[in-house]
Amino acid sequence: MEQILQVLISGILSGGIYALASVGLALIFGVVGLVNFAHGEYLMLAMYFAYWLYNMAGMDPYQSLLINLAIMAVVGYITFKVIMERVLDSDHSIQMLLTLALSMVLQNLALMLWKADYRNIRIDITNDTMNLGFLTLNTPRVLAFIIAIGASVLLYLYLQKTFTGAAMRAISQNGKAAQLMGINIKKTYGLAFVIGTTLVGLAGLLLSPIYPAYPTVGASFSTLAFIVVVLGGLSSVPGAIVGGLLIGVIESFAGYFAGAAYQQAAYFLLFILVLIFKPNGLFGRS
Amino acid sequence: MIKKLLLKNNSVLWIIAIGSIIVPFLLPNRYFQDIAVMTFLWAGLAVSWNLYSGYCNRLSIGHAAFLGIGAYTSTLLYLNFGISPWIGMLAGGVISAVAALIIGGTTLRLKGTFFVLSTIAFAKILEVMTVTSKDITQGSLGLMVPFQPSFLNMIWHGKIPYAILTWLYMLIVLLISVRLEKSKLGYSLIALGENQQAAENLGVNSTRTMMIAFVMSAVLTSFGGTIFAQYVMFIEPTSVMGMSNSINFILLAIAGGLGTAFGPMIGSFILTPISNLLRGYLAGISGLHGFILGMVLIVILLYRPDGILPQLRVLARRIFAKTDKSSKSKGV
Repeated sequence: MEQILQVLISGILSGGIYALASVGLALIFGVVGLVNFAHGEYLMLAMYFAYWLYNMAGMDPYQSLLINLAIMAVVGYITFKVIMERVLDSDHSIQMLLTLALSMVLQNLALMLWKADYRNIRIDITNDTMNLGFLTLNTPRVLAFIIAIGASVLLYLYLQKTFTGAAMRAISQNGKAAQLMGINIKKTYGLAFVIGTTLVGLAGLLLSPIYPAYPTVGASFSTLAFIVVVLGGLSSVPGAIVGGLLIGVIESFAGYFAGAAYQQAAYFLLFILVLIFKPNGLFGRS
Repeated sequence: MIKKLLLKNNSVLWIIAIGSIIVPFLLPNRYFQDIAVMTFLWAGLAVSWNLYSGYCNRLSIGHAAFLGIGAYTSTLLYLNFGISPWIGMLAGGVISAVAALIIGGTTLRLKGTFFVLSTIAFAKILEVMTVTSKDITQGSLGLMVPFQPSFLNMIWHGKIPYAILTWLYMLIVLLISVRLEKSKLGYSLIALGENQQAAENLGVNSTRTMMIAFVMSAVLTSFGGTIFAQYVMFIEPTSVMGMSNSINFILLAIAGGLGTAFGPMIGSFILTPISNLLRGYLAGISGLHGFILGMVLIVILLYRPDGILPQLRVLARRIFAKTDKSSKSKGV
């Protein structure tokens, strides 16, 4: 029983990161209508930035958080301006292929610049644990969970309570009508894209003390984020949060009962089942 | 006369496709001949991919799964039971067809984005299954095909026989694609790609049409998988089923011209040699090769999303329009 609980908590903790990695994707999909296959690559970039800031300036990922987020925002803005803005009206296949190509470029760029080696950040906190009754929890994972869920909820509140947030929701409901109501569509698209990349970057930063950086680290998170987002109903931010936690738990239990190799298979299977039986997501309205 | 040849039908493209078999005979050594073999094979694979995804404009990013089924079926039959890869190829085709029916049955009715994602998921599940069934597939260690040259084993000394085999494969797939383009099925498929709702309203049976094309595409890709295994003589889950293969199908098809029979072939004729040469010369800097290919794809998508083939046609038409103003040729 205690072991089961430990597995459950471990899954929830990972799920927090998955949620954070996915809310940005849901936002970009909902507002901009882009299926961004390069989403995970921003997580990878953030992990590398954290690593280099740690290695060169001696700042641990928590100290370099703000600098790093600023870098991610700039990177996101540049991608939007240089590439995405040109294809906003293009066919969906073109957009998808473009983000696929972008992910290929970024992965190989990382391989060129930083080699395929695993880059670990080993700081004091990495192996810290805290005890809650009989549960033993890894401190950076708890920290990551709290910040991740905090950031995801902040995004939700931002969308609900602010004017730009309302504008984004309006666009995701009906782009044309939103434009007629005087919302600057392109600016809002850009903002949503930047918020999306920054948030997935934050997920990368939170991962960096516990997970190595390598060129293809983002790819697995891209597919994972897609699954989460589909589970959550595609463009819904709260859906993505719940979906992330769910995937974390499923992955954790699949790993415990069937072995690590089946973790991926488990959530892909779930994904296909959801696509077949509830294509609007687990919580979506038809 | 020449104009008619160039514009009226696919004659020039057929001449290129058939004539290309001269190239491996002219090449000086095995290294370049290997590139020729790969160019034919990838051309065939890209044309196969295009058969479904190109014509009806629904990307399958998991098509490498069928390449994997073809490669693993024939290799396992060969290694365990000594069954000739020629028969293994047909067996792989049958299994691929069944897999395509199952996958298609569940995913073809999904809307664009969901379909794309589900193809990725199916390919991943198959990859994980192959990695984990270590007793049968050796998992990530991969399978080695022993070098026992004979026609029956689909293994030969030298590259030339492989060049002929892959060239024939490419021609057969091309022939099927060209025939499809002119058939009712092909028209329905293209109509579905342009506007599914409208096509359905006009009486196109979308599920049936897409299913037939999807199965055809899967089976032909699977045949290519067997040839791939017999040529490279080593297969491993990621190298055959990985997403990078699926992306390569798409890259070649879109570079040449999505939804045209010959576009993917032209894409492979141009990009596969460049890609292989780059990989050879830039081997010192890992990643540069993939980086360049990704950039090429981005540039094509941003500036020439129709691909090279339509551009060439426009060019040809313009040249002839100058010599003959009265030309009313509708083009190829």
